[in-house]
Amino acid sequence: MRSLLNFLLRHKTLILFLFMEGLALFMLSSSHNYHQTVVSNSARSISGGLTEKVERGRSYFRLRDVNEGLVRENLLLRQRLEILQTDTATSFIAFSDTLKKLNYNYLDAKVVNNSVSRQKNFITLDKGRNDGVINGMGVACSEGILGIIVGVSRNYSVAMSLLNLDFRLSASIAHNDYFGSLSWDGKNHRYAQLSEIPHHVIVTPGDTIVTSGYSAIFPPGLMIGTLTGDKKKGGDFVTLKVELSPDFKKLTNVYIIGSLNKDEIRRLEEEVVNE
Amino acid sequence: MNNVLRYSGVFVVLVLLQLLVFNNIQFSGYINPYVYVMLIIILPLSLPSWVVLIIAFLAGFIIDAFSGTMGVHTFATVMAGFVRPWIISLNMTHEAADPDISPSVQNNGLRWFFMFALMIVLVHHLALFYVEVFSFSGFFRTFLRVIVSTLFTTFFIVILDMIGWRR
Repeated sequence: MRSLLNFLLRHKTLILFLFMEGLALFMLSSSHNYHQTVVSNSARSISGGLTEKVERGRSYFRLRDVNEGLVRENLLLRQRLEILQTDTATSFIAFSDTLKKLNYNYLDAKVVNNSVSRQKNFITLDKGRNDGVINGMGVACSEGILGIIVGVSRNYSVAMSLLNLDFRLSASIAHNDYFGSLSWDGKNHRYAQLSEIPHHVIVTPGDTIVTSGYSAIFPPGLMIGTLTGDKKKGGDFVTLKVELSPDFKKLTNVYIIGSLNKDEIRRLEEEVVNE
Repeated sequence: MNNVLRYSGVFVVLVLLQLLVFNNIQFSGYINPYVYVMLIIILPLSLPSWVVLIIAFLAGFIIDAFSGTMGVHTFATVMAGFVRPWIISLNMTHEAADPDISPSVQNNGLRWFFMFALMIVLVHHLALFYVEVFSFSGFFRTFLRVIVSTLFTTFFIVILDMIGWRR
């Protein structure tokens, strides 16, 4: 007993070291549900408040870019409105089309914290549970999609950025509708990879990549980026390099996108699979 | 007692500096200086190693909790705290100053402090970046990030020390 105690005392530093590293690795391995833990949630509400103050100051320097972005988006929306109006005008009779009912709703939010230099980047937003944000909603800005909400506290939410090694999203090539899986390889914050595209698909540099809408997180046709023309062949598929259209280094105003039919779609899919 | 109080003050300031200023510095996606490692560097050389470990754990845990990277920084700081005694014995020269006061450029000379800081930061960053990626694929790219960030972090730590704000 005495010799055991002596042994423990002599190696207390080593034992402490191994214990603490074990603890760190344990925290790391269970980090996918860390948003539920009390510690980081309360820490987040403190740091969220602090970084919000810093961010409020910094957003002044980006007002010009923000304005230009808003003007561009206004233009786009006007064009869409035009298309919609001509659509209904051709029918002459007023009708309520249940197929064209609202599928997604939008909530504007401000970025309070953001990173691009890590391998697993997250974006913190100033809207939370009180504003109706729930896990699994999409985040986009006027230039394109940004990420998916993975953690929500009372007044803040955290989105897994597209620039995260764990990020996966179904995306398609706009002009021929072939779809693949969009992910990020952790190298450059301007580029992502679109994999699982069959060999025979003809692509040209500059082709637009948009959301496919299959996962019901984002509506179909939202901008993601453009092809650079770089290809990597492997097995039956090619992987294409995508230049992301939003600049992740200067995000201020973003939208949170909630799908109104996501639960219904998922329930139906689960039912079918279970039978 | 006085020293403990002063160190606590330095602790708070460095953590805030890291979270509010240095976490926002990102050159070209490769470089992200982590100056809070200075907390481990400026502990008195004579401090028992298990105390160093506990302080390192706390520092890493706080940074982790506030930046939402549970375990990554904790792993790295504990690793840096653990190898600190060996780095001290590697760097120890006959002109090394009083081991009871905390290391600084003024007490130990620029050359000693720089080498000491560089080695601790290197160990910390090696652990940090490889645990963050959690794989050895892209080994050399991660290695490049380690080297470049280490140089920047050490540079900032030496500058901060020379400004002498903690006195």
